[in-house]
Amino acid sequence: MLTILLVLIPIVTGLLALSVGGRTVRQLALLGALAELVTAVVAWTQFDPAAGTQFGFKYTWIASAGISFSAGIDGISLLLVLLTTFLTPLIILSTFGYDYKNSSAFYALILFMEAALVGVFTATDVFLFYLFFEAALIPVYFLAAVWGGENRLKVTFKFFVYTIFGSLFMLVALVYLYFQTPGEHTSEITALYDLILDAKTQSWVFWGLFIAFAIKMPLFPFHTWQPDTYTESPTPATMLLSGIMLKMGVYGLIRLLLPIVPLGLAQWGEVAIVLSVIGIVYGSIIAIQQRDMKRLIAYSSFAHVGLMAAGVFSTTLNGLQGALIQMLAHGINVVGMFFIVEIIYSRTKSRYLDHLGGITQKTPHLTVYFMILLLGSVALPLTNGFVGEFLLLAGVFEYNNWLGAVAGLTIILGAVYLLRMFQKAMFGAPSAASESFKDLTVSERAVLIPLAIMVFWIGIYPSTFLKMTEPAVHQILRFINS
Amino acid sequence: MYPIVLLSVLGIVVLYLGFLKSKSILLPATLLFLVVAMIGNFFEWNDGELLYFKGMFAVNKLTLTFNAIVLFSAFMIVAMTQGFQDNEEAQPAEYFALMLFSLVGAFMMIGFENLIMLFLGVEILSVAMYVLTGSDKRNLRSNEAALKYFLMGAFATGIMLFGIALLYGASGSFSLNGIESFVTLNQRSPSYLLYAGLLLVLIGMLFKVSAAPFHFWTPDVYDGAPSIFTAFMATIVKTAGFAALFRLLSHSFSGIYDFWWPTLSILTVLTLLVGNIIAVYQDSFKRMLAYSSISHAGYLLIALTSMTKQTENAILFYSMAYSFATICAFGVLIPVAREKSLEGRPNESYEAFNGLAKNNPLLAFVLTVSMLSLAGIPLTAGFWGKFFVFSSAVERELVWMIIVAVLMSAVGIYYYFRVIMAAYMKEGDTATIRIAPFYKIVLIAATLLTILFGLAPGLFEAAM
Amino acid sequence: MNTNYLPSDFLPIIVQFVLAAAFIVVTMIVTHRIGPSRKSKAKDDPFECGIEVVGNARTPISVKYFLVAILFVLFDVEVIFMYPWAVNFKKLGMLGFIEMVLFMALLLAGFYYILRKGVLKWEE
Repeated sequence: MLTILLVLIPIVTGLLALSVGGRTVRQLALLGALAELVTAVVAWTQFDPAAGTQFGFKYTWIASAGISFSAGIDGISLLLVLLTTFLTPLIILSTFGYDYKNSSAFYALILFMEAALVGVFTATDVFLFYLFFEAALIPVYFLAAVWGGENRLKVTFKFFVYTIFGSLFMLVALVYLYFQTPGEHTSEITALYDLILDAKTQSWVFWGLFIAFAIKMPLFPFHTWQPDTYTESPTPATMLLSGIMLKMGVYGLIRLLLPIVPLGLAQWGEVAIVLSVIGIVYGSIIAIQQRDMKRLIAYSSFAHVGLMAAGVFSTTLNGLQGALIQMLAHGINVVGMFFIVEIIYSRTKSRYLDHLGGITQKTPHLTVYFMILLLGSVALPLTNGFVGEFLLLAGVFEYNNWLGAVAGLTIILGAVYLLRMFQKAMFGAPSAASESFKDLTVSERAVLIPLAIMVFWIGIYPSTFLKMTEPAVHQILRFINS
Repeated sequence: MYPIVLLSVLGIVVLYLGFLKSKSILLPATLLFLVVAMIGNFFEWNDGELLYFKGMFAVNKLTLTFNAIVLFSAFMIVAMTQGFQDNEEAQPAEYFALMLFSLVGAFMMIGFENLIMLFLGVEILSVAMYVLTGSDKRNLRSNEAALKYFLMGAFATGIMLFGIALLYGASGSFSLNGIESFVTLNQRSPSYLLYAGLLLVLIGMLFKVSAAPFHFWTPDVYDGAPSIFTAFMATIVKTAGFAALFRLLSHSFSGIYDFWWPTLSILTVLTLLVGNIIAVYQDSFKRMLAYSSISHAGYLLIALTSMTKQTENAILFYSMAYSFATICAFGVLIPVAREKSLEGRPNESYEAFNGLAKNNPLLAFVLTVSMLSLAGIPLTAGFWGKFFVFSSAVERELVWMIIVAVLMSAVGIYYYFRVIMAAYMKEGDTATIRIAPFYKIVLIAATLLTILFGLAPGLFEAAM
Repeated sequence: MNTNYLPSDFLPIIVQFVLAAAFIVVTMIVTHRIGPSRKSKAKDDPFECGIEVVGNARTPISVKYFLVAILFVLFDVEVIFMYPWAVNFKKLGMLGFIEMVLFMALLLAGFYYILRKGVLKWEE
């Protein structure tokens, strides 16, 4: 029941927002997102990590084909649902200082996006999963293409075609798997786990799924849509894309790819992990050369997601747990950083590091929050990034020492580009653009404070979340090794 | 059976109604007649399998469902004609009567049990369409289209008739059952006369549904015909054509599947490639829709080629989803093109849609949903159509065909999204377009159905 | 009656075809060969009852002629259906009669439509 409520609340609020015009629409959207957060927290309090998939909901969809609208929450789902429901109200709140034309549609799309994301994370039927996976794309495409920057049409279009293209292959693979289920065909995810397929089949199913998720995350060399899209999208859409949507890819790897095609993984896992590691280094090196802050963070996100994928493909407990906790941490950090870029941009009308400088002197508050989020991103101990990256690297080292060593570069390179950005933007003599920098508003603080708290919570006491996901991860690993 | 009789008679009634002074009664009368035919259609719903005319014509749930799709599409299209009130030269009574008569042809194609009946149905449908294509008498392109369509169509029916004759020569029977028993009896020793006949009949039918390489007439004819009749052609002719093809191949020739599937699969791939790739290069929205209709013929052919248990359902659902979306697309195109007309001609290019969303949010939304459905994006009926089609192909493991279809779906997104981008993201000034209330209701209904079947495709099955 | 024909039973028909075609071809060739052939300008002109040629042959003709011609063909073809009915009149019985009446009613409906449309009004 809670699961279906989680999907419905944003949709209903979104529809309400569409019918309500004017300025009250933001408050309404925020209210809906908060109600969603409360529901998710209620689910969390009632959640028993050892009990597997809970709050199940099943409604027969296409009777003759055995496809049903079935959803439920296990540890992994809960973590991502919490991330989604925690970030969405903050993303909505982050827009309070800005005017978006046609605002009712704008907020409705954000809420529809939330519904689709929650749907992806809770679906226990592959076709339902696919449906939400695709449906999430439509709101964010319109957000980016209607409210985005100058070059938005071309860029978002590339993004759309690219991702749809990838997921069509996933669809074919899923349909194929569906026909392999014995007896009356069923598309329950757990039924697909039990399939016994020969190595050759697994190999092509692996690629069908891998390409879809690799494009979504994105992994090297499927990433070419990403930096432009992140840069051209309006900041709330960028936050949704980087904070939550790329997690769909990682989630898909863990939920579908690993347990369904373990033999495919055995054949191609090395290629995948090498691609991931290349992405880490490549993304970091490009990030170092960026002068546009938004673009820099986009590349840093690309590098970070590479590490998550590497952890997942290491198929070790540490790697998977690290990927999960890092998803949470990265979502929080990257949303915070994009928001800070937006704050700076709204005041100075520039995102170029050359035009900025000396903001610290004008607003020490912003500096503090920026510093916290930045340290989280560079994985300083006691911040959220440290826990995730530590576990991830431990996982990759278990897999292969050399790859681990190369992946470890991420910490050094990350520190280089992030600290360089921080130093150029915040310190030095105030530039012309940042001369009249106003201090943070109340709503801006209301976004940054919860983010900062989460950075420390996860950094200091990660077992809240690690314990939540551990049984589910063990179960996935059992399927891989069986 | 009832709809055939009803529409034949009511078509004549519409002709006679045209003699009244007031033309305004024609539209409501035609709509009423379509509703009557729809009701008549469901009279036989619970009667199981029925045969008429000494076993030349069959009625069962499948044919009735196809009939219902065709009737419903026709209802929406007729409603969108607005009665041709604003055009002095128009002959509304004749147009409506021709549409009703052509529906009779469509029903015969859907339920034929004898090749003669198929031929009659094809001719009744086509002859009406030739006339309607050329109904814009003062427009050179409309005339050209009608002549082209007529000449090519005559050749195609000629080839088909030759094929039917060969089939008769081989099997000694026109009836599907007779041919089927001949095929099953002679599975080992192939009759080349039969093969040649089947191929020729297939060519004739594939011409009607505009599959490559028999598609060359489609863009010119669709482009030249008045938009409302293009919508009629793109939906009803296609649905009836595929119903007939399905009946023919699943019934009589399932025994020699191994003979015809390689041929059909090559044509399928060719159709997908031609339709999608050429559609990308179009500047006119209407012409793009013509190529898109070719590409959708390709997707339907996938289902036909795989011919599994699913095929029946896939073709039904796909043609329904495609019809609704196409009607919506034309329903938006017509008022927009009229509003933006250049030198007295409707402007059917992509540019006409620039900035549509600003003052016409409803039209823009309808357009978006229909394009999403045609592109097969989830939460629209079109997605499930593609889903069923792909599933049937996956079940047969037609791997390379699936790969082409997936690639072409991605290409499809490109041209379908062009118009969405024009409507929402490009600058342009379109004044608020006034749309008649009934027109609006039809558009909204078709859009809601597209979304409803996208959310709950099971509903359709439950209704069967 | 023997209903099983072999392909060879159709041989006389083929012979008939060949003979018919051969006769035409031979006659044409022979007349071409033995007839004298003189060319002159007057002979190349289209023959118009000995009168000099006036104007272009492609003059527009009133559409009424075509309409009448087409209507003639239509009704003519439909009347052909009466013949098989007449032959089997007894055998088809009452049902056949009713069907024929229906058919004629449809024809008449069409005829009335033509009249009302003014297709046969020649003067306007």
